[in-house]
Parts: sequence; structure tokens; C-alpha cells
Amino acid sequence: MREISVKVNGRIRKRNIKDNELLLDFLREKLEVRSVKAACWRGECGLCTVMVDGSLVKSCLVLAVEADGREVKTVEGITDDGELAPIQKAFVNHGAAQCGFCTPAWVLATHELLKVNPHPTDADLVEATSGLVCRCGTYNQIREAVAEVSRAGTHGQTKASLARA
Amino acid sequence: MSFGSPYTTLPDFEYHRPANLEELLGLMKQYGDDAKLMGGGVGLIAFMKERLMSPTHVVDVKEVKEFKQLTHVQGKGLSIGAAVTLSELLEDVVLKKDYAVLHEALARVADPMIRRRATLVGNLCEAIPWVDSPPALIALDAAVDIAGPEGRRSVPVGSFIRGPVDIDLGPSEIVTALEIPHHKGAEGAFEKFTGGSEFSLASVAVVVSNGGRRRDARVVYGAVNSTPIRSADVEEAIRDGITPGSARKAADIASQKVECVDDVLATAAYRKHLLKVITTKVLRRMMAR
Repeated sequence: MREISVKVNGRIRKRNIKDNELLLDFLREKLEVRSVKAACWRGECGLCTVMVDGSLVKSCLVLAVEADGREVKTVEGITDDGELAPIQKAFVNHGAAQCGFCTPAWVLATHELLKVNPHPTDADLVEATSGLVCRCGTYNQIREAVAEVSRAGTHGQTKASLARA
Repeated sequence: MSFGSPYTTLPDFEYHRPANLEELLGLMKQYGDDAKLMGGGVGLIAFMKERLMSPTHVVDVKEVKEFKQLTHVQGKGLSIGAAVTLSELLEDVVLKKDYAVLHEALARVADPMIRRRATLVGNLCEAIPWVDSPPALIALDAAVDIAGPEGRRSVPVGSFIRGPVDIDLGPSEIVTALEIPHHKGAEGAFEKFTGGSEFSLASVAVVVSNGGRRRDARVVYGAVNSTPIRSADVEEAIRDGITPGSARKAADIASQKVECVDDVLATAAYRKHLLKVITTKVLRRMMAR
């Protein structure tokens, strides 16, 4: 056992872990962040995707101990002062969730894509999310949601930035 | 990668994160066979979940500062540290321009999230016959830099891979970097067929030099046998230039001469067919440039 300290969605969390613990299990079981889904455990479905120090990774392929001293962001971390981010609203508008199991990973991944590429082409979207699956097949609705945010140019607008403007 | 293992957790091990090469060598000297090196962990964690590997020590090389370097030496070549990820390589503009065969091979490995973790050296050291970096590296005449208790040595990638999951690396040795010579004015391309799985059923890497009438060609096939196969016959077929005629001839020769095996992914006969298809595709693409 060793103690690690991880900043999760802006809050420092300290827990004792075993060296062989996965970041996925640490987040779900130790911190009860259940938006991070455990499905394939093999890096294939992408539903355990989180940000570690600003980089999207699959948490079933990362050791918890590797996240010691780092910053982790999950879908909870993208809301703006309690209000849904533009991509989240767009997911709602377009019904881009069926069963909802994969939705947190898709929201996080498309949110991050829009951050680096505010107007992604279909090919950009397919490439950026090629590590994620949706077994309900909501791909079209997700594409429409991303297109809406791209068209509106609302990505990255926060209450604070709007107030300043 | 799943072979149907019921495990979702990892076997017990002690985790180490050395900060420099000296510390790393010390750990490997101490633990040797009981330790496994971890780069991005993509392969090792999957292998451990399958219980194909149960090391008692896992040594993470990502923080070894010497391993983070990606260095171009003008006119000489490219040095890729053991902790350089596939994403970092794909973002490198010189790699895209001067080492196109490797760029094309890496661009289609897994997905962006995996590529942010996976390292090229890790990908190579797994020595899984169906992965794409080895044929591209052999086509570029790359060499593996190795450090160990007896000092340093360098081995061509083609002889470093001895067989499936079998590499020329002692229990206390570590791969520090990959060295790729600069091929002035050379052109390269990579093609593969996956049938929808994450592994290739057949792949081909081509590098052709631009100088002179008789061109120097290197053609390496991957995923059709236990180790990559360089084909002198196919190379000879395109040496006078890539034309519709020579491409057709090269594709026929590949299908006839390159030895293929039956395994869990495909039959040898199917692979023979794929060799013809991918050789035609890769050469047509090079012709169109």
C-alpha cells in the first residue's frame, strides 16, 4: 500500500492504493466517480476515458500510481459553474444518448476535440473518437451535436467569459 | 486485445519509477527476470490481465529523462528515445516528410488515446507478429540501442526480433533508443489489411531511394509470418522504377515467393492473396505521387 494524491476535477483526493490498482478502479471504487465506466477492461471500448494532465487516455490501461501528483478530469469537470457545457446541451438537443452508458466518455472526448479543433470535419471527428464505441449506434446524433456547437461557435464560452464580453 | 481471460484486475507487483538511466539499470540488475519494463503500459497491462505475464516488479521507464528525447541529426538520422510516444512521433513534421513509411504505419495504429500512451520502443519490444512498426523500421534500416550490465550494444531491428514475443534482449538489459538512418531523397509508403481487428493480417513497408537509374529498394512484409520478411525478389522487380507493369509483376512475386503461415487470424492461402492486394495498393499509391 502507498498513499497517492490526485487532483480530480479540481479537488485534491488522497487514498491508499496497491501498486497493481488501475486508475479506472481507483476512480470508480475509491472515489466513487461512476461516470467513468468499466466495460471491456482491454482498451477497446474507450468508455473509461478520462483526461490526465490534459491528455485523453483510457483509464483501464493506466495504473493508479501513475496518476500520483497529476490532474484528472472526468465529465463532471467540464460543467461550467454547475451549468452544462455547450456540447452537453447539444447532446440533449439532438438526443445523442440512447442507453447513456457511453455518453460520459463521448461528451468528454468531443468536448476536448472542440477545444483543440473548434470546427472539426467529419473525418476529424471520426479519427478523434475512433477509440470509442456506442453500441446503441448514436453516432449520427453525436455528429449533429458536435456540428451544432461548431456552427454556433459556443465552445469554450463560460459564464465568466460572457460576463466579461 | 483479448484472448478471453476472465481477469479484470492485475496480478500483484511492486511498481518502480526510476528518474534516470543509472537508476533504471540498477533496478534491472537487481530484479532481472522478475521485472518487466513498462513504457505506455498498453501491451504490458493487457498481457498482465490475461495472466500471460505476472512480473513481481514493474519498472516504468516514462520518467527516465534520457528516454524522452526525439532527436534529428541533420543528414545523419533520427534518434527515438524509449519513452517517446506514437502521438509525439506523429506530430513530428520531419518524420512525416522524411520517414513517411513510419509515419503512415503509426498513423493507423489503434486510436488517438492509445497512441498518446503507447511508445514505439514498447510496440517493437512486444514482438507481436501482427503489429505494424517492425516492417516499417526494417525498411528504414533502423537499429536498436541497448544498455546493460556489460555495456552498450546496437542491433539491427531485423535481428532484434527473433520470433513471436521473442527479442534479443537479456534479462538485465534495456532498450534505450531506436536509431533510424536518414535516407536522402527516399520515398516510402506503408499499407496493411486488418479485416477490422486491431491486428494486421498482412502489411507491407516500402522505401525506395531516388538517386540513379537502378534504385535501391527495401520491401518488408509484416504479419504474414512469425517475423517480418524482407523480399529481395520484390525489391528486384521495382528496382528499375515503379510502373504499372513492374507493380503488377512485384505483386505476383510477393504472392508467390513470400512465405506465409496459418494462425488464429488467417490462413496462409488468404495471406498470399492479401500480399498481392497490398503490394498493388502500396505501389500504385507511390506511382501516383
